[in-house]
Amino acid sequence: MRSYLFTLIAFFFLLSGCQQEQDIYLYEVNPVDVTQDGANKQNLKSDLEFLSLAFSDLFGQTVPNSVLNMMVTAYNSLGDKTLVADILIRNMLNSPQAQVPGASEMRNNPQAFITATFNKFYIRDPQEYEIWFLTDLIENDQQITPEIIWYAVLTSDEYRYF
Amino acid sequence: MKRRKFLKKSTLATAAAFSAPFILPSGRLFAKTMNRKVNHVVFCLFAGGVRNLESVHLNEGNLMPATLAGADSTIPGLDPLPPSPHPVRLTTEGALFKEFRYREGPTGHFNGHTVALTGVYTNTGLNLAANPQYPTLFEYYLKHNSPSVTARNAWWVSNALGPYPALNYSSHPSYGPIYGANHLAPTALLGAYDVIRQPKQFQFHEEELIKKVRGFLNKNFDKESSNDGKGNFNTEADAESIRNFLQSMITLVDQGGYLNPLGMPTQTANNDVFTIFFAEEVIKAFQPELLVVNMTDVDACHSNYSQYCNNLRKADYALAHLWKTIQETPGMADDTLLVVVPEHGRNLETNTVQDVYGRFGVDHTGDPTSREIFSLILGPDSVITRDTVYGTPANPVGESIDIVPTIADALGFLPNITSNFLSGRVLNEAFR
Repeated sequence: MRSYLFTLIAFFFLLSGCQQEQDIYLYEVNPVDVTQDGANKQNLKSDLEFLSLAFSDLFGQTVPNSVLNMMVTAYNSLGDKTLVADILIRNMLNSPQAQVPGASEMRNNPQAFITATFNKFYIRDPQEYEIWFLTDLIENDQQITPEIIWYAVLTSDEYRYF
Repeated sequence: MKRRKFLKKSTLATAAAFSAPFILPSGRLFAKTMNRKVNHVVFCLFAGGVRNLESVHLNEGNLMPATLAGADSTIPGLDPLPPSPHPVRLTTEGALFKEFRYREGPTGHFNGHTVALTGVYTNTGLNLAANPQYPTLFEYYLKHNSPSVTARNAWWVSNALGPYPALNYSSHPSYGPIYGANHLAPTALLGAYDVIRQPKQFQFHEEELIKKVRGFLNKNFDKESSNDGKGNFNTEADAESIRNFLQSMITLVDQGGYLNPLGMPTQTANNDVFTIFFAEEVIKAFQPELLVVNMTDVDACHSNYSQYCNNLRKADYALAHLWKTIQETPGMADDTLLVVVPEHGRNLETNTVQDVYGRFGVDHTGDPTSREIFSLILGPDSVITRDTVYGTPANPVGESIDIVPTIADALGFLPNITSNFLSGRVLNEAFR
């Protein structure tokens, strides 16, 4: 009888041990927000979504129907979608209405520029190694421009996905 | 096949080809030696539904004076056209299959195009939003031609959008977009002139930086990016040459170079004429080994018979101009087949829609007359049995599914096709 009682008490402590609150130790590091990384994007944008989102991202407004129709027509008129998407993006980038940041804005605060770029186009924060790579590029190559980075982002694989 | 995987495999295969013999799945050490009849084929789908009665039977007089012998038609409603661009009738430089047949399946435009480009009859309606089920001529060529070639050599120039862009590759798992042709719908593309006319130009060093940044971003997003949504594949160098070509087309439009296309007054030219005009620009720029172009304006016949006849004459004129341009293009002259065939015909009976001249329209709903078509194969004198006619109404010769094997044979890759979808035959009568 005593041994049964002992077993019951031991089992109780075992269960309660699983639920025991753990002590929280806070070390001297900054809190980091974890957002969706690129690898979790699984859904390919449709052609229509891709074109209209690129327009919205570049011009800060919804694409007018007439423009979207023309873009879709052009998109369907060429078999190589990478090539035609590239042509359409280059046209949008060349427009004076495209809201591309200035070079000084990028160089004054590369990290802010990179974060804003990723937020705008990838809907996520950049990873640390992405910030490091792009900051290094901006700081060490005077020929890099915001247009170059925006164009590379807009024509990257990740931008084709949600 | 995934695009990156394909590129990796292509690179490895190329490297391996230099270091070790390549054994084919058939067990053969190398691909069969290619025995080509010619090095270029242009396939013109003389489409939209052309009835033999108005074409080779000359029931309305000769509506194809650049191609056929016979007194010109004098029916009302025909626009005046310049003389034929080619000095001799086309049939004198080709083999005419006067009674060709579209034997099976619905006589729909897309069905007909699909049969002509896959060599397989479709006995059911097609999903207009989908690529064909069976491999296309382009995929056979790009997969089986030896030595391998890139899509810069294979073009599908369509005169409209709708379902036609889907014909540059199939959904077949062993083929698909990696072996797809470069599709171009020139008049549609240039109709969207405002969104393509001024692409941002980057300097060489800027392009290198773009590649560096994009490469970094893509590497971090390494999910074996699929071909979904990317269409056919071009190498970087080919894509650059196509981009330059398109820019030259935009410049040409800017400068009015498309006016009076093929030497025809602009107000007389129709969409078919403009399409052939731009197909000729592709020919001049790339000298492709395989180019397919279609015309469809004769389909006005549903509601305007006179316009059908009018457009048939313009298609005939454009065809002669296409042949002339081929003969004037270095690298293609005397080394090119021009294969011409409508996708299907039209019914014997008219419908109830009258045009301004009181003539009734004609549909195409699968009656025996709508399966009667012709085919013309033009080529060098040393290759083609010129000025010959095959087939009678009682004894037709050739059918739609024969076109793919005939072109594959002419370009020499037919023996390398191991799949058994093709049940048509090579139209050997046309060749010496």
